[in-house]
Parts: sequence; structure tokens; C-alpha cells
Amino acid sequence: MRALGIISFEDSTANIEGLCDHRPVPAIAFMGRYRIIDFILSNMTNSGIGNVQVYAKEKPRNLIEHLGDGKHYNINSKRGKLRILYGEKSFSSDVYNHDVANYMLNMQYIEEDPNPYVVIAPSYFVYQIDFNEVLAQHVESRADVTLLYANAKDAKTSFLGCDVVKMDKFKTVTGFEKNRGNLKSQTISLEAYVMTKKLFIELVKKAAETSSLYWFKDILADSVNELNIKGYQVKGYVACLNSLPEFFRVSMDLIDHKRATQLFKPGWPIYTQTNDSCPTIFAETAKVKNSIVANGSTIEGTVEGSIISRGVTVRKGAVVKNCILLPGAYIGENAKLDHVVVDKYAIVHHVKKLVGTDEQPVYVARRDRI
Amino acid sequence: MRANSMVAMILAGGRGSRLYDLTKKVAKPAVHFGGKYRIIDFPLSNCANSDIQTVGVLTQYESVLLNSYVARDHYWGLDTNDGGVYVLTPRERDDTNLEVYRGTADAITANIDFLDNINPEYVLILSGDHIYKMNYDKMLAYHKQMNADATIAVREVSLKEATRFGIMNTDKNDMIVEFEEKPAHPKSNLASMGIYIFTYKTLRKYLVADAKNPDSNHDFGKDIIPAYLNDKRKLTAYRFRGYWKDVGTVDSLWEANMDLLQDNAELDLGDPTWKIYTEDVNALPQFIGENAKVEHCYVTQGSVIEGSAINSMIGTNVYIGKGAKVVDSVIQPGAKIGEGATVTRCIVADDVEVPAGATCGSKNSNEIQLVAGKVSE
Repeated sequence: MRALGIISFEDSTANIEGLCDHRPVPAIAFMGRYRIIDFILSNMTNSGIGNVQVYAKEKPRNLIEHLGDGKHYNINSKRGKLRILYGEKSFSSDVYNHDVANYMLNMQYIEEDPNPYVVIAPSYFVYQIDFNEVLAQHVESRADVTLLYANAKDAKTSFLGCDVVKMDKFKTVTGFEKNRGNLKSQTISLEAYVMTKKLFIELVKKAAETSSLYWFKDILADSVNELNIKGYQVKGYVACLNSLPEFFRVSMDLIDHKRATQLFKPGWPIYTQTNDSCPTIFAETAKVKNSIVANGSTIEGTVEGSIISRGVTVRKGAVVKNCILLPGAYIGENAKLDHVVVDKYAIVHHVKKLVGTDEQPVYVARRDRI
Repeated sequence: MRANSMVAMILAGGRGSRLYDLTKKVAKPAVHFGGKYRIIDFPLSNCANSDIQTVGVLTQYESVLLNSYVARDHYWGLDTNDGGVYVLTPRERDDTNLEVYRGTADAITANIDFLDNINPEYVLILSGDHIYKMNYDKMLAYHKQMNADATIAVREVSLKEATRFGIMNTDKNDMIVEFEEKPAHPKSNLASMGIYIFTYKTLRKYLVADAKNPDSNHDFGKDIIPAYLNDKRKLTAYRFRGYWKDVGTVDSLWEANMDLLQDNAELDLGDPTWKIYTEDVNALPQFIGENAKVEHCYVTQGSVIEGSAINSMIGTNVYIGKGAKVVDSVIQPGAKIGEGATVTRCIVADDVEVPAGATCGSKNSNEIQLVAGKVSE
């Protein structure tokens, strides 16, 4: 595919409370064995995009470690390239650290790329898409920009704070507004675009000249009358991981195997970093139901409606219900957890009971000992 | 230590005919074990963990899959600049036609040019079909310390078991004085594990001589070791304590899988200091269904369990349908157990589909049933 892939970062309204204190959204563990970024990056490499730039707003350590040279995402080591890019200067205030500023600071890498098109998408929207089809429609429609959107049927509770795309009957974008949860059905922008690289560079420069606080989506909103922006609907499962309750709800949603398979189509592998863990041990006392389990764990207790990541331990008599246990979490004997997100390597030992709700799951911090 | 001072040669050419249909299309070292591994992952991971950089894998029987598998040396971190995994198959030469490997020693002799190119000080001979974790670097240190010409890894077995193995009779310093293949009346309980370290210069001479001997079986146990002993060469026994299993039969393959389920299993695959590496298959996580029951099992990624699995090994991408019951069994990767089917004391081979409602095996059977090919309803 003749496109440069750009994985952009989300703005600060996306905050998975607690988890984001330790790493950016793309690096958060998801569905037991993945990180959130695996989905959009695999979509790109499966579409045959060989050059990918991943923009990191801050805390790139986790991403660098997870993405490496991109070989495990099937990026060709000679003919492809994965770059993790960030603004190599300090911003006087966080508000100046936006996508446009980072594109400007790395403009040489964008300009040097030989591909005539760009595919831009953030990682906090999770879905399955073949960008070849998007590019084909983009070329055929002669649009300046093709924008990906999804029809949300639960916009009162999900996709809060996301952009709603206004379109005419020809799917030409006429404007944007915020989803404040007023309507059930909304057309949600996935903040993913296909355009020529030339136009992308023009728009980035224009944004920088217009306002030093402009994000890329701001300049796009300003340009709806000058540019022909066409909508492209993404069907199938789409979620936006922009808050802790949404992260929690979506994770719980995907425990259903049928629903999850919408994200994992045959011939469309979702790649991730392997860590060579052994299979998971289910002890004689284990009672596991309705759950997603990754490798390398030891389960002696009861687990229901939960997500068990790699290297987790659930001791005898422990009861874990509706929980997300991140890699390396340890749940001690007889601890009872319901609606709890336990971050990496946290130890739940002395506290024997923790109960949250769908709207407010309890969060246990990374490497915490409680 | 120079990177290539010891080269490992893994003998992986055997069919493993007592595994029947499990080795119909793949060689025994490529047979799956422990849910996600292949048997040859064990010696290869041991090599990588022992800082051995160059590994030759000698293949012959049904080698297409095995050759392409081991050639991906990055799976085991053996893809260093100085080293790598080299697939060594029988070949046609300038002066001879294509000749198959006639025995374990012949397989090495046939690749003397490969070894000469690397010019290692020591050669480690391994078998591609044993399950164990071993630090070959420690064994090499012992070989050097004893100033031996050859060191043979041995483990202590009961005298009753000793009749099934090659037995090393040693003096009080663990120097080998006699080798007996499957003795009726064993004099020692030190069984050879088929793991040898040879000082290459000496070995080379013996291999060349052996190749010219028309009466030889060209086998390490039957010919090379006796020749060393005959010449009063220094052979020493290196005692290995720890888990080791030859998984040459359906029953022993099943047993070795079941050993992993034991509490405080001797073979700890979760030990972060000595991981066993394997192919990354990009499988999904495990999905355990609403009505599932999973007790005393080892389960690996990609499996979907809707029914019940008890005391079993569940491999990669295995599907167990609603109401199905898997007990005391090993389900190899990709197998599907249909709704309501019952599988007891079986090994279900890779990608086999057990139809809904079918019954395989029984809890009273003496032998483990191998379920391969089409299963009738």
C-alpha cells in the first residue's frame, strides 16, 4: 500500500484514570495479552503499510519497549520502518504539546517518506479495518480527505467527549461537534484520515501558522468548506478507550467470544510482543467461568467475568469477579474482589474485600501493596 | 570465552515410529508438547540459555516442517551475528550420490566440513527428542576440569529401569570404564542421556576411522564410545539431577505432559531464568465460557473452552464445545472437541476434530489412546 502510516496520540480528554498515571493510553494492557496500540498498528501492517510513525506525547519508555523495531508487527526489517517519534524539546506548557507540534518537529521524516498518501489514526479507538479499502474509496471519490467514522448506538454513555461528524447525504463532512451524551445515535469521528501526503503537510503547516494551540482536527474543522472531506463508515465492533469506566465496560464486553471475534478476523492477526510465558496453570481448586485468560498465570481461586493478563496469580479461596487483572498482579488467599482493576505487579494481600461498580471500578495502582 | 568454542549438534532425523500417526507427517522433534511447545524447543532453548551460539540440526525424516521451523533461529534468540541455527540434511556431493545418514555418528561425520569451517574446540551432541532443562555450560566446565576426551551426561535410575538404557559403569572418580547397552544384569545405575561433549580434534579422528569401518553401525553408543574405551581414552560421566524424559511413545508423551500438571512439578516451565522459547503463534488469549469447568489443567493461548476440562493439557487454539468432557487427556494444538463429546485418557492429535457426541478413550484403559485422523461419530 502506497501510504505512510501515522499513529497519532489522543488529546488530554482521553484519560483512563489511574492507568494513565503510569503510561500513555496506547501502552495500556488490554484483553490479557495485548496493548491498546496493537490493534491499530496491526490494522496498518496487515493492510500492507510498511512505514509507520508512532507519535508519543510523553512517557515513551513503555512504547519503545513494547514496539521495538516493529519486527513482531510484521514490518519488513529491510523495506519497512517503524519509528517512534516525539517532540525532542520541552514544551513550556502541556497545552503546546499537541499532535501538530510533534508533526512539525519531525517534519523531515514525513517529508522524506516516499509514499504519496498518509493514513493517520490514533490508537485509542479499537476496531478492525483494511486501509486498502479506505484508500480505494478515497481515490475513487476524489475526496481531499477521507475520514473514518462509526455509527454509535450507545452514544449517551460511550464515546463521551468524542467528535460527532456532521455529514450531508453524500457523506460529505459539513462540520463537527462534541458528543456530550445527549443522543443515543451519533456518527462518531474515529480521528482517522486518508489523504495525500502533500495535503497533510500543507494542513499541518497551516495549523501551526493559524494557532500554536491547534490540533490537527482543529484545522480540519476549519477547512470543511474549502476541502472535500468524505466520511467512510467503519462497521463491526468499534470502541473508544478514553476513560476508566469505558475501558472497563469494553473489556467486559469482549469477554464474549463471539463479540471479540469481530476484532480478530481470520487472516487478520493482531500482533503483540511475545514474552515466552508458559501456559496457564488451573489448579484443582480453580473455578473459572466467563473469562479471558492469558498465558503464564496461576489460578487456584474463583474467577468469573474477568480478564486475567499474563503472569497473574490468584491464590486459593480468592474470589475475583468482574475484574481486570493486569500483568503480574497477585491476589492473595481469600481476597474478594468485585469490579476492580488491579494494575501491573500490584499485590492484594492484606485487604480482603474490594468492591467497585460499573461506573466506578476500584483502581489498585501499579506495584502497590495493599 | 570465544563465541564458537563449543558447537551443538542436535540429532533430529528420527521418525519416532512408536508415536504412530503423531509422526506421520512431521518428525518426532517437531511434535507438540506442553500445549504450545515443540519437543525440539527444549534442546534449542537449553543451548540458547547455555550461551551456545552455533547449533547444527541434523534432520532427515519428514523434515520440511522441522527444517523451516528450526531455521527461524530468532525464536530462541540464537540469531546472533557469530552464530545461528544451521539445518543439516543429507546431501549429494561431488564424489558421492545422495546418501542418507546411516547412524548418529555418521550424521556428524557427513558434516565434518561444516564443523571444520567453524573449527570449534568442543562439540556437544544432543538428541532432538528429550524433555529436560540443562545447563550445557556447566557440563563443559566439568569436561574441562576432568580434562576428558569425552563427557557423557548420565542420570541415576533404578536398577530395574537400568535394563532399558545404555548403562555407564564407572570408577570411584566417575570415569567410565565400561558401557553396556540395555544390560540384563546392570552393574551400575548410571543411564546415558544421549548427551555428549567431545573434544573435537579427538572426535574427528574417531569419526574418520569409523566411517571407513565396514562393520560399524556408525552409532555413538555402539561404536564411537566403545572405540574410545578400547583406546583407554578419558571418558567421564557427568551426573545430571533433574527432570528428563524421552517421549518416544504415546504413553510417555502423555505422561510427560501430565508431569507438568503436578504441584511443584520438577520441570518448571515458568522459571524466568531458564525459559523455554518457542514460536509466537499470534493466538488470541484463552476464552473460558459461561458454563465451562477447568480444573487441574495446563491451558495455553487461543483455546476456547465452553465445556469441561479436567486434569488435562489444552494446547494452542484448541476448541472444547459445550457439554464436552475432556478428562486425563492431552489435546494437541488446533484440535476441536465437539459439543457433548467425551475424551478420556487420550492424546488428540493436532487439528483433529472429534465430532459432537463422540466418545474417545476410557478411564479404565491401560494404554493411552491416540486419536488421529477422522473420528467416527
